[in-house]
Amino acid sequence: MASSSGNDDDLTIPRAAINKMIKETLPNVRVANDARELVVNCCTEFIHLISSEANEICNKSEKKTISPEHVIQALESLGFGSYISEVKEVLQECKTVALKRRKASSRLENLGIPEEELLRQQQELFAKVNSNKQNWPNRNGFKCSKLPNKPNLLLPQPVHLIRQDLLRMKKMMMISEIHQLSFFFLYKCFSCTTKQ
Amino acid sequence: MAAAAAAGSGTPREEEGPAGEAAAPQPQAPTSAPGARLSRLPLARVKALVKADPDVTLAGQEAIFILARAAELFVETIAKDAYCCAQQGKRKTLQRRDLDNAIEAVDEFAFLEGTLD
Repeated sequence: MASSSGNDDDLTIPRAAINKMIKETLPNVRVANDARELVVNCCTEFIHLISSEANEICNKSEKKTISPEHVIQALESLGFGSYISEVKEVLQECKTVALKRRKASSRLENLGIPEEELLRQQQELFAKVNSNKQNWPNRNGFKCSKLPNKPNLLLPQPVHLIRQDLLRMKKMMMISEIHQLSFFFLYKCFSCTTKQ
Repeated sequence: MAAAAAAGSGTPREEEGPAGEAAAPQPQAPTSAPGARLSRLPLARVKALVKADPDVTLAGQEAIFILARAAELFVETIAKDAYCCAQQGKRKTLQRRDLDNAIEAVDEFAFLEGTLD
């Protein structure tokens, strides 16, 4: 839903998330509403505190991006060192999952279509690109600048690179078709108005 | 649409307007990991909070992730501390004053004194 967002400083963690955490920590304990509200605000303050400290550490280390290491150092310097061991576990898990995801995606790319078929598809797409170019209504210098003038025939490449190229070319084809249509549409509009 | 998206991070009924919009983008947590460690806090919101600081330029995704986890630990800690105060007062309901006491008792929570007003 797109609407103008309010002040950034009104951001807080959603109440329901906090409620869930409180419930898990203190099952069967009643908590007053204003107490919950306070916890939400405290959590927000905590995030601001750690991120601002981590930012300073990051600047000192002359890096541009706050890294997990900076966050850990911030926790240590602000007296939350007891959180560090658990936080490191989570970091490990995060890295493992990211690694698995990368492996999975590269495996997927290498399965499936054999190389000859990929090459054939590539040639087909090139042929299509060429024939599309000739159908340009080339009036008043309207030209699609996105299409290269001469497609460079790609030399045989490793399978995963060919697949990426195919995807890229398909994407460019779609973009060029949209360009074509839009220019054509504009052309039609102008020719209609001039006729009147 | 916002309701469906926010369902991943909890019901939207108690959220303010701008907060609702910020909850719309899905959290970037690895949700498909087996034995999924889904961060309790929506990562997109945590990221928005970090970026609200004008000095912060960029924060890596892993950094956001562990910051969210640290915030979870913080909430757990402060809730437990407050509960101790409530028990001392022989009450079964956690009240705001229990949190106040817990905050004042711990040095590291001094930064929270601004929120007590």
